[in-house]
Amino acid sequence: MSPRAQRLAFAALALVLAAAMAVLYRRYVWNSPDATLAWTRGATTYVLRSPRLLGLLLVAPFFLLILPRSLADLPWQQQLLSLGLRLAFVTALALALSRVARTERAEHVYTVFLVDVSDSVSSESIADAARSLRQFLGARKKDDRVRVITFARRPRLVEMDEAATEPPTLARHDTDAATHFGAGTNLQAALQLAYGLFPPGYLRHAVLFSDGVETDGDLLAEANRAEKLGVKLFTVPYRGAVPGEVAIQRLRLPDRVKVGEPFEIHADVYASRAGQAKALLYQGEALNGLDGARTVALQPGVNDVLFKSVVRVGGEVTYRLELDPLGEDKFQENNRVAETIDVPGRPSVLYVEGEPNRGSPLASGLDRQGFDVDVRAPSSFPGSLRELERYDFLIVSDVTAEQISLSSQELIESYLRDLGGGFLFAGGPNGYGPGGWYHTTVERILPVRMDAERRKDMPSVAMSLAIDRSGSMTGLPMEMAKQAARATVDALSADDLIEVIAFDSTPTRYVKMQPARNRSRIENDIARIQAGGGTEIFPALDAAYQDLSVVQARKKHVILLTDGRASSSGIRDLVQAMAAESITVTTVGLGAEVDDQLLSLIKDFGGGRYHKVPDPGSLPKIFTREAEMIAKSSVTLDYFPMKQVAPADFLRGIDVATAPLLSGYTATKMKAWPAQEILVNADHDDPLLARWRVGLGYALAWTSDVKARWAGDLARWSGWPQFWGQLVHEHMRQKRRSELPMKTDVFGGTAHAVVDAFDADDRFDNNLESKLTVQGPLPGGSSSTVLLKQTAPGRYEASFPLDRYGSFILRAEHRRRTEDDRVVPVAVSYGHVSNPYPPEYASFEPNLGLLGRAAETTGGSRDPEPSAAFDPAGESVTFHQDLWPRFVGASIVLLVLDLLVRRIRFFDRKFLPKTRTV
Amino acid sequence: MHFYGLPASTLLTIAAIGAAAIVSLYVLKLRRRPVPVPFVRIWQRILREKEATSLFSQLKRILSLLVQLALLALLVLALGDPRGFASNKSRNVVVLIDGSASMKAVDVASALNPSYARIDAAKDEVKKLVRGLGGSDRMLIAQMDAAVTPLSTLTGEVADLDQAVALVRATDSRADFPRALRFASDVLLGLSSPEIVIVSDGNLGEPRDAAGAVHLGQVAISFVPIGKGGRNVAITEFSVRRYPLDRDRYEVMLELYNASKQAEEIELDLLGDGNLVDVTKLKLNPGERLPRFYPNLSGARRTLEATIKPANGGRDDLPADDHAYALLPDQRRIRVLCVTAGNTYLEASLLLTTYLDVTYVAPSEYPVKGQTFDVTIFDDVTPPVADGSGSVLYLDPRGESSPVKVDAATLVNVGFDTLDKKSPFLRWTAIDDVYVGRAHRLVPEPGDKVVGASEKGALLVTGRRAGRRFLALGFNPRDSDFVLRIAWPLFVLNVMTEFVAEDPSYLSSFRTGEVWHVAVPTLSDEVWLSAPGASSPKRVPVQDGRAVYLGLDAGFYTLEAGPRGAAVKAEFAANLADAEESAIEPVAVLTVDGKTTGSVEGFHVGVRSEWWIALLLLAVAITTVEWATYHRRITV
Repeated sequence: MSPRAQRLAFAALALVLAAAMAVLYRRYVWNSPDATLAWTRGATTYVLRSPRLLGLLLVAPFFLLILPRSLADLPWQQQLLSLGLRLAFVTALALALSRVARTERAEHVYTVFLVDVSDSVSSESIADAARSLRQFLGARKKDDRVRVITFARRPRLVEMDEAATEPPTLARHDTDAATHFGAGTNLQAALQLAYGLFPPGYLRHAVLFSDGVETDGDLLAEANRAEKLGVKLFTVPYRGAVPGEVAIQRLRLPDRVKVGEPFEIHADVYASRAGQAKALLYQGEALNGLDGARTVALQPGVNDVLFKSVVRVGGEVTYRLELDPLGEDKFQENNRVAETIDVPGRPSVLYVEGEPNRGSPLASGLDRQGFDVDVRAPSSFPGSLRELERYDFLIVSDVTAEQISLSSQELIESYLRDLGGGFLFAGGPNGYGPGGWYHTTVERILPVRMDAERRKDMPSVAMSLAIDRSGSMTGLPMEMAKQAARATVDALSADDLIEVIAFDSTPTRYVKMQPARNRSRIENDIARIQAGGGTEIFPALDAAYQDLSVVQARKKHVILLTDGRASSSGIRDLVQAMAAESITVTTVGLGAEVDDQLLSLIKDFGGGRYHKVPDPGSLPKIFTREAEMIAKSSVTLDYFPMKQVAPADFLRGIDVATAPLLSGYTATKMKAWPAQEILVNADHDDPLLARWRVGLGYALAWTSDVKARWAGDLARWSGWPQFWGQLVHEHMRQKRRSELPMKTDVFGGTAHAVVDAFDADDRFDNNLESKLTVQGPLPGGSSSTVLLKQTAPGRYEASFPLDRYGSFILRAEHRRRTEDDRVVPVAVSYGHVSNPYPPEYASFEPNLGLLGRAAETTGGSRDPEPSAAFDPAGESVTFHQDLWPRFVGASIVLLVLDLLVRRIRFFDRKFLPKTRTV
Repeated sequence: MHFYGLPASTLLTIAAIGAAAIVSLYVLKLRRRPVPVPFVRIWQRILREKEATSLFSQLKRILSLLVQLALLALLVLALGDPRGFASNKSRNVVVLIDGSASMKAVDVASALNPSYARIDAAKDEVKKLVRGLGGSDRMLIAQMDAAVTPLSTLTGEVADLDQAVALVRATDSRADFPRALRFASDVLLGLSSPEIVIVSDGNLGEPRDAAGAVHLGQVAISFVPIGKGGRNVAITEFSVRRYPLDRDRYEVMLELYNASKQAEEIELDLLGDGNLVDVTKLKLNPGERLPRFYPNLSGARRTLEATIKPANGGRDDLPADDHAYALLPDQRRIRVLCVTAGNTYLEASLLLTTYLDVTYVAPSEYPVKGQTFDVTIFDDVTPPVADGSGSVLYLDPRGESSPVKVDAATLVNVGFDTLDKKSPFLRWTAIDDVYVGRAHRLVPEPGDKVVGASEKGALLVTGRRAGRRFLALGFNPRDSDFVLRIAWPLFVLNVMTEFVAEDPSYLSSFRTGEVWHVAVPTLSDEVWLSAPGASSPKRVPVQDGRAVYLGLDAGFYTLEAGPRGAAVKAEFAANLADAEESAIEPVAVLTVDGKTTGSVEGFHVGVRSEWWIALLLLAVAITTVEWATYHRRITV
């Protein structure tokens, strides 16, 4: 064969070889579905972990291709030998790069120690864990490795040498209040972090030091996964002495409580040591009446602490127990627990009366109609919506706007709008305009306006100012009193009447009764008043009475200013006589020496107000306010009959026309539709009773009063109880409509509510639109809404995180969309959940059951011997041993051999002539 | 630089020996073949160029020697497995690969690879990241589904990371994003240049849970979005409940959700015990949720399945939520033992239902040996309760064996003044005006519940004694008009239903991705669970009579309780049933801890920490070139 033919043949051979290798490589390596290539030889499995780099072998044909063109002075045998060595060299490198490895079995153990350093673990227990850890490390074999993780709410890897023989420092996690990583235990997260530490080629062991109290995650569920991932778990429960601790575990209330019937409340109080604690039990916002505060003796373990209580008004009642341990107590978070109970009872009415001692006519009338009535003074108005929610109907009667704070007025609006409560605002001398309710939240929610125009046929106001001019008033007090008198004149309308009486032991009319339009003359007369003399109130009041009784005015009012004490003889009768003629009296006491008792008495009988003023500088302001209040008042004191002008269900069976006359009311104006006027003053057609809807509830305005002042005759009427009973019944909160049971639970900081809905014939009630309102933590707390989703026939569920601690009430509204696309309420559900404090502070005894079961699930054990943590127990782990260094070593040998073959002539050493030479 | 392979001393020894051998071989003078050349002109030319040739020859020998020494050096260095030192700039990266159900979507598939799913695309992206790690960077790969599972250590070993990527698989659950982020930040705590890479379709929700919002501090976070489309119709609810009073019939609820941006027509098949029960064609508007109810069904005894498919054939992008499973509660007959001297009213009420298996014995014949019962009724007798009696209904209990203390005084002419109408024992009954001629006041113990009471004391009390439930009625029903009312058989039926826990709150299927607490049918703690598709059952722990398991896959499960071979079996179903997970439209940007995640940066495929690979590749290249130059006499 010619050299050219030889070269062509070699080239063809190289190309065929290259093509064949490429096809094989593409088919079996490049397109292989497996990331690795493996084969077994005997008992050993070999694997190429990066098989694609075998493609380097595709250079082999190149070596062959070069050979026929070689100029090397070597016999052909040596050239072939060199080719073989070079191919072997490249093959060795290709295999090395393909990461050839073989499976090996090992019994080395990699153990991760998980140490609980959460708040529920005492420092002694952590020290015990450190001692145990030292024993474990001592039992380790040479090739075993260890790591340590400490954990509370979150796990943390502790810096240490894997081969260390001494345990690292076991520190608690930060106790910063903002993050407070110690206030929780997440065993699951600790185990998951451990998974990421086990290197290949080691048996995986984990040793858990903990009390087994988990507040987040689920160790048992994680144990399943640990077993699947080949992690064997051993558990070492903490058994050290627990710190001094007192914790309320539970507040147990009876299933059923009846209104007015005493019952027992059990508190499960855990104490780690014997000691004492002060206990305060609250019912709602007030101390529990029967048994509110006492010191309890606690024995180690769980103590059953008993309280007695009674509920006076039905509804949902929240009990809150607070403990103040007298000895050592590590955590304060667990000293407070609240629970709520639903007390069935009669419909309840909260009756806030400006004069509680005069509220009996209405209270007894409602009581006879089957209502629980709670009569309170304005100062005891509920401070929270939660407290207000216990009542089905709210009556505010004859109270000034000053006595009901702005926040309380907003509570009333929420009570109506959101809770569907009923609200009656009743008048009186302090109601409506005279009470300063104009432009308030209450006026906004009522169906009447309070800016009624005054009548033109007579002066609206006749006012008498009785000013003490005794010697003690000399100086600034007298000047300020005169300025107050001038300011009063300015506050009155031109037609209003005014007189000024200055008194010492006798009264002097400095300004005789005259219209206020004579301002300059009146002010000049006021300027003439001089201080001096003693103090006698009776003659001054009597003079005012005589003057006012003879004038025509819709409102007659006396302001009495004094800074000293005087005889009270006859004053009470005088003021009663004035009240009988609808003359009201307000008293102003200046300085500390005034007779509070006398001035309060005058106020009480006079139907006015009592202002105690330490600083004479504020006198003008008080007088002005009084004048405005009286001047703007539209109280009408006159006997008049009621007249029904619109149908109302609650008046069914009541003949209003036969009702006795009322003797007074406050003139108001109806607001626009949908405000509905029901009863009017038959003489003037002013609204007497009006109503409208506010949100879910009803607001009603009663412009007369509900007590013996203006409604004295009516209160003696036989229809009085029925009238109010039916009125309240129709407009009270309809919480007792169809109720669906709600089941609730809290797990892992998430609350879960389930409502099962069945219709009348036991079928599932589907397609309800259900909304769940969560309010808390109680008392007060904010309100949020979540949707209840239908998850099965007749079943509605919602889950929501409880990111705060305390007691929460749940209220679900179930509605249905009708065919005409209206949404109508169908039913309600009530429930409550309690998330008193982080579960970390709930238990201090080790959960041996949990720790045992978790270990057992993974094949480990509880309380292992130290050697067990490193005992392969007959197990071994398969791992890949890399062989690439061996192939690199072989390639070095091949490199030298190749060089040897090139540099030393082994064949044709005698240089026999070639058959054909160039 | 640091040697992770052979120690430097060994490497130097190998290098010295190898170099000595190579140099020795180059010192040897080659014997050249004598070639007779007949032409004088050639000799003349050779002599003319002798000086130059000699110099060139020497240079070629030195170059050749250097090449060989260089090859040796490369190989020896590779043996040492050299790597750069970790520095403060070394990155520590945790890659969270989304293993939730939406990652099973095949919107990224091609005609060549129709089964290529998002999870495969995610794995390919992570492989690129692994290749792009810097020299001293370390990476941990973790899968996030309902739990978070690290699949590697924090390592720079490419092989280990590749192996971890291969282990990733998509589940039938949603991803617990907050938990995964917290895990990642725990791993990265205190490490230099910490970084989290999220490889996901972005359907992860707000990273907030009961523990609050996730805060990552200084940890950098980046996002590799996966997925293209979002055409999907899903079954988002599927459940079945038997009617409480007519237990032969049941009602099925099913909710369909069209997560696509266009209307979809689908065919819905309902199967009972594997047989087709109903076929419906439906059209769903974009984003529409359509609940459907199948009332008054009967026929199927155990399993129910629902499947959907596009009405025009083919499939949507996420087949995982096109199939749902539910199990009907077991309709086993309740074994009732009635210990009575004869009570027509009681016998009549027990005849009204077909699923009771009632045994009557005289008081003297109690206990019945060799038999166990679910419920025992003691009618006007109160013997000590024997094992195997199940829960107990006492009618007018007395004496020492009564579960509650009974007042000796007889109450005359009483009724139920208060009733716990929410109690399941009183469901659908109206007994407010029942007249009781003679009764005895029951005194409940702490923990007992008073279901009904007169003004003079409790008359109906329930509780638990020695783990056994009981209900005690403080009067003989025959001493009242209770037995004459329709409420009486309802009451007895409620007692049976409540005692055997087949109440209407039965759960027909669990939701994947949650920790299930499955009621164990026996008292055994040895419980084995067979998951769908699993080759063998796994033992699972039991807590408070319930097996605890984090379920990740939809389908039917079998639970066996008790020793193998004699185990009692129970089944349950699990479904994805998660509309948010079925909304598979990929999200382009994630927001975590108030920060918008950026795209990954700094991962460049190239020479990374494993320098030996580059050294060997260079050696192969040099040897290939050297082979050509040697044979062409450029080197010798």
